[in-house]
Amino acid sequence: MTYLGQIYAIVWKDLLLELRTRERIAAMGAFAVLAGVLFNFSIDTTAVRPQDVASGLIWMTLVFGGLLGVGRTFHLESQDGAFYGVLTSPAPKDAVFLGKTLANFVLLYVVAMLVVAVFALFFGLDLGRSPSALTLTLGLGALGFVALGTLFAAVSSGTHMGETLLPILVFPLLVPMVIYGVGATGRLLAGRPVAEVSSNLRMLAAFALLALAVGALLFRYVVEE
Amino acid sequence: MEASILSAPAQARQAPPVLTASALRREFGAVVAVDGIELTLDAGDFLTVFGPNGAGKTSLLSLLGGRLRPTSGEVRVSGELLDFRQTSWRERIGILSHQGFLYPHLTVAENLRFFGRLFGLLDLRGRIRDRLEDVGLGDRADTLVRNLSHGMRQRAALARTLLHDPELVLLDEPYTGLDPYAAGVLRHVLSSLRDGRRTVVMVTHNLAQGLELSTRVAIQVRGRFAWEGRRVDVDGDGFERFYHRVVEGGVAQ
Repeated sequence: MTYLGQIYAIVWKDLLLELRTRERIAAMGAFAVLAGVLFNFSIDTTAVRPQDVASGLIWMTLVFGGLLGVGRTFHLESQDGAFYGVLTSPAPKDAVFLGKTLANFVLLYVVAMLVVAVFALFFGLDLGRSPSALTLTLGLGALGFVALGTLFAAVSSGTHMGETLLPILVFPLLVPMVIYGVGATGRLLAGRPVAEVSSNLRMLAAFALLALAVGALLFRYVVEE
Repeated sequence: MEASILSAPAQARQAPPVLTASALRREFGAVVAVDGIELTLDAGDFLTVFGPNGAGKTSLLSLLGGRLRPTSGEVRVSGELLDFRQTSWRERIGILSHQGFLYPHLTVAENLRFFGRLFGLLDLRGRIRDRLEDVGLGDRADTLVRNLSHGMRQRAALARTLLHDPELVLLDEPYTGLDPYAAGVLRHVLSSLRDGRRTVVMVTHNLAQGLELSTRVAIQVRGRFAWEGRRVDVDGDGFERFYHRVVEGGVAQ
């Protein structure tokens, strides 16, 4: 119970801090809306069907926007040395990692829903026959993304290059997730049956679980000196 | 209601010592910050470590508190080795630095609740109330930390340090920047800890404040304890002269 309580404490604290500062959700939300507006003007919908390009644009917006938020995961932690207080507490480092990852997941999932809403609005997207499968696809993708993003945000926060380093570290590792995510999203937006994307969903779930496990295992080596 | 930490003596223990450090050494590249420190402290011991800038005092505290891994040697708290694969020993230690380890955008009570949950504490509401009363911040529980003065922030940090009732309290320059009232509160809390048989290690440059509460004194120079002794053996009036002689290498242990 204590372990779950420690994870809960981290999630509660991170979300409360975000509620107070709105630092990351504002940056990610603004990026999502701006990206939607720009794509709206840059794509000729008489030449290209929105359904054909929307999945790639949604995932691109999600990944770049997500980096804005996830990259600042440890920004507020550095103020007044607060994170040292966490690191010198009895909370296992994997509980700290899982707590921060879950808090990031909540934020990114909200942004993912915003991205879909923005694209649906600008491109008049039909969300397909199974919006729940679409939200599951984006949810699994977001989970894998934040697990890797949180780990590498911890790595980059301890360097001089900081947030500049994060995309360089994370992007190559996100390729499998983006391939399966874009594939599933594209088929779902095209109105294909859920059964057609079940293998993609399984791969996304496996990616998310692997990223969580690797992150939980390696986090302590990153944050302990 | 839970008894205040300031009035509740820790139970006398048969053994082992609260803190032991053996052949403790820490290197940062070619720099040796802590060099072969040996230390044994029992319940109720209050050790003040003096030393010039760069002597390795903060590194020593970081090693004793599990913020840094030693290059060699070991630290035990109440007999338990500071093994970084485990976390249970962290429940025995409270750390107060010149940084507060508090989140500026959370209230004082929210900060304490958060750290209390990390320590798996029960009856958090009562504990938080009591600790805040102890440090004179009972009426500031709902104030955002960023809106507190430096002195109040340091007292809130002290409440966080003592929230889990640690056996060993480590203090890094705790008086820095405090007004006389806040310094008085800190002094009162620290003397109560000592009288309650908690073990305290404090690092400071301020000779008078450092000597005031200590039962043992050490002077650290270039990573080593150049001198260590009991407080009762120290002449308070002539200590500054003695300290300078030790730092300049004129006194052998």
